[in-house]
Amino acid sequence: MSGLGKNKPKGILLEGWYATVDDYAICGAWNPNGTILVVGDSIGGIYGFEGKSGTVLWEQKRTHRDGLLCMAMHPHENILATGGQDGTFMLWNAQKGELLQEINLGRGWVDTLLWSSDGQLLAVSIARRVHMYRKDGSEIWKSADHPSTVSAIQWSKDNEIATACYGQVAFCDASSGEIHETFEWKGSLVSMSVSPDGDIVACGSQDKSVHFWRRSTGEDSMMAGYHGKPSALSFDESGRFLATGGGNSVTVWNFQGEGPEGTKPGTLEIHIQPITKLSFAHQGVHLASGARDGAVIVWSLDDSGNGDIIGASLVEEIISDLLWRPDDRALAALDAHGGVTVWQVGN
Amino acid sequence: MSIHEKVPVTILTGFLGSGKTTLLNRILSEEHGKRIAVIENEYGEVGIDQALVINADEEIFEMSNGCICCTVRGDLIRVLGNLMKRRDKFDYVLVETTGLADPGPVAQTFFMDEEIQSEFSLDGIVTLVDAAHIEQQLGRSDESTEQIAFADVLILNKKDLVDDEALDALEVRLRDMNRMARVVRTEKASVPVETVLNLEAFNLDEVLERRPTFLEPEYPFEWTGVYSLEPGRYEISLAEGPDPTMSLVIVSEQNTDDASLREGAEWCVRRYAEPAAASEPESDLTMGSHIELQLQASGRKSFYVQIDSSIQIGLFAQHTAEEFDMQVINANGDVVPTECERIWVAQHEHDDEVGSIAIEKEGDVDPNRLNAWLSRLLAESGIDIFRMKGFISLAGQDKRFVFQGVHMLFDGQPEKPWGDAVRRNQLVFIGRNLDEEGIRKGFEACLV
Repeated sequence: MSGLGKNKPKGILLEGWYATVDDYAICGAWNPNGTILVVGDSIGGIYGFEGKSGTVLWEQKRTHRDGLLCMAMHPHENILATGGQDGTFMLWNAQKGELLQEINLGRGWVDTLLWSSDGQLLAVSIARRVHMYRKDGSEIWKSADHPSTVSAIQWSKDNEIATACYGQVAFCDASSGEIHETFEWKGSLVSMSVSPDGDIVACGSQDKSVHFWRRSTGEDSMMAGYHGKPSALSFDESGRFLATGGGNSVTVWNFQGEGPEGTKPGTLEIHIQPITKLSFAHQGVHLASGARDGAVIVWSLDDSGNGDIIGASLVEEIISDLLWRPDDRALAALDAHGGVTVWQVGN
Repeated sequence: MSIHEKVPVTILTGFLGSGKTTLLNRILSEEHGKRIAVIENEYGEVGIDQALVINADEEIFEMSNGCICCTVRGDLIRVLGNLMKRRDKFDYVLVETTGLADPGPVAQTFFMDEEIQSEFSLDGIVTLVDAAHIEQQLGRSDESTEQIAFADVLILNKKDLVDDEALDALEVRLRDMNRMARVVRTEKASVPVETVLNLEAFNLDEVLERRPTFLEPEYPFEWTGVYSLEPGRYEISLAEGPDPTMSLVIVSEQNTDDASLREGAEWCVRRYAEPAAASEPESDLTMGSHIELQLQASGRKSFYVQIDSSIQIGLFAQHTAEEFDMQVINANGDVVPTECERIWVAQHEHDDEVGSIAIEKEGDVDPNRLNAWLSRLLAESGIDIFRMKGFISLAGQDKRFVFQGVHMLFDGQPEKPWGDAVRRNQLVFIGRNLDEEGIRKGFEACLV
């Protein structure tokens, strides 16, 4: 990607700020009003950056013993949840970096955390289980062991979460943990994305395919032919497009009308290294893609799911996360080198 | 963008009680200056400050296509995927499997997952063997057989619990199953760290230096006896035995230590490959060449050797001395006792389904034909081929092409230039019920 120029953003990506954390920047989150970007690194450092300038507002080092794995920002309040290899999740005040609560779930890695859209519930996955907590840190239920380690969780309805693991997707009642439905598939489901209306559940599989189910009809389909395992999946806010990684190109399935079965997907090609992260903007059809070589591209999709490049930049290393600010006027890229790059997004 | 070296990974297998945890603790406590991450599937007693020990429950992920070669270890993908995010701090990764683990999915993980493959390289598979119990285990479980078959290094642990003869027989049996592995005997899992780490197990040159004829068929003789002789004429006397003939090579200046016996054996393998000269009873025998004693006549038969100076000779015989009541008798009619005896157990005496095929051929290979042949072979027999490795002289390429594979998965790259060395090919296949002749012919058809 020599034409892009290192650290010289093009198109709608405009110079913003750059900062570093101590190790591999694993995950991040914007606070609800977009004034703070929180970033976590692999050795358990958590950093609160002032959203506009990149000034460090607070930092907490070595929070999770053995490493941090995930974080989730409360949708309406400045409460951050983090999880790690120590089997613990922690709740933080995202403005000040103060630890509010620390809850240990036993042996295993806390792999994923997810707030409900009203912010009342926090779903936590550890090893083969899912636990449901209230905002105050009190536990509502914990699931029985899944057949294997839970690889992804997503809200499928207001009162229901979907869990993916090797061999199945299950739908659990958010207030009781009772399983409503399971879809079985002999394959290792490594990623999951649920359409905004909750009808379509798409999973990337280790065997280089994307499998999806329509809950309303019970139909399922498999999209094969990927060059790598599709670990990056993202639905746009309308539920029309599912962008999938897996190899160097982005494949966009269009769920409008009869599709995507039997239709030709959109293909976004410019990356020369495998895609590591895909993220749709909160509004509209702008899709950000990041790759192993640190390239970040912003695409504007047309009705067919094909798209034009409207922004591009290159950071140092493997892109680990791409985070649109809640107003979509800034985009943050985290990388394996510990880099935190934030671009302003122009028109 | 920085270019990283891949982090080498050793897989440590072996049945419960074979000494894996002892070995791990030994490696971790030794001063080698390396940062090692250990992924454990068994809750052992490993706990050393300088190493990161991660416990993971074994999760075997099969694919929807039903292909066993695509089966991987999900727990390893997850743990390694996370380790690569703190890669700078680790020089090495050790994966300890459960005693009952099938090594296939563990090894396949390093070929099947592109992210893992881009950051880690499978350096070698080390299998610990409890010398006292492996014979029973081999009879009872496929896993133990496969752990032997997949190994680059076989550590025969607890050798103190078994006598030398049984250990020799065991080693021969294990070698029959896996001819590419290096065999190390030890007690209390006390082996140098280099035996386990940075094996570059796919460096066949090194294997060849250790055992120059490892690519040859198994020893064609069953027995060696070493005798100390003064100058004089000696009779070799044999009673009637199970066969009408017996092949023999007499080695002069044979020492009795293990290394010398092996050296003698390797030398004799080459003599045995030459056509045998028939020796009738009452004749004088030639030293250092392949002879075939003619034993058709009834009663005891005598052959003679003339010794001109004090030496130790080694008789490398097709059958054991016991079978023919073979004796060496001096001019006074006294039976000369052996200084030592050694039994070489030949492959045909075992019916292990698992075995090795080794091919060595000089010349260049046509890449297209090789590709077509290998694709066909792996498609047809990939399930039964546990491992293969070797190097190839590809026509038109100035570097040797080094490859390794696990079941149907194959990985190779150009390495050292040939320079002045003779261009040749070496391939080793380890698997179950392999069609040796078919594989040999298939490869030979790829030669230019």
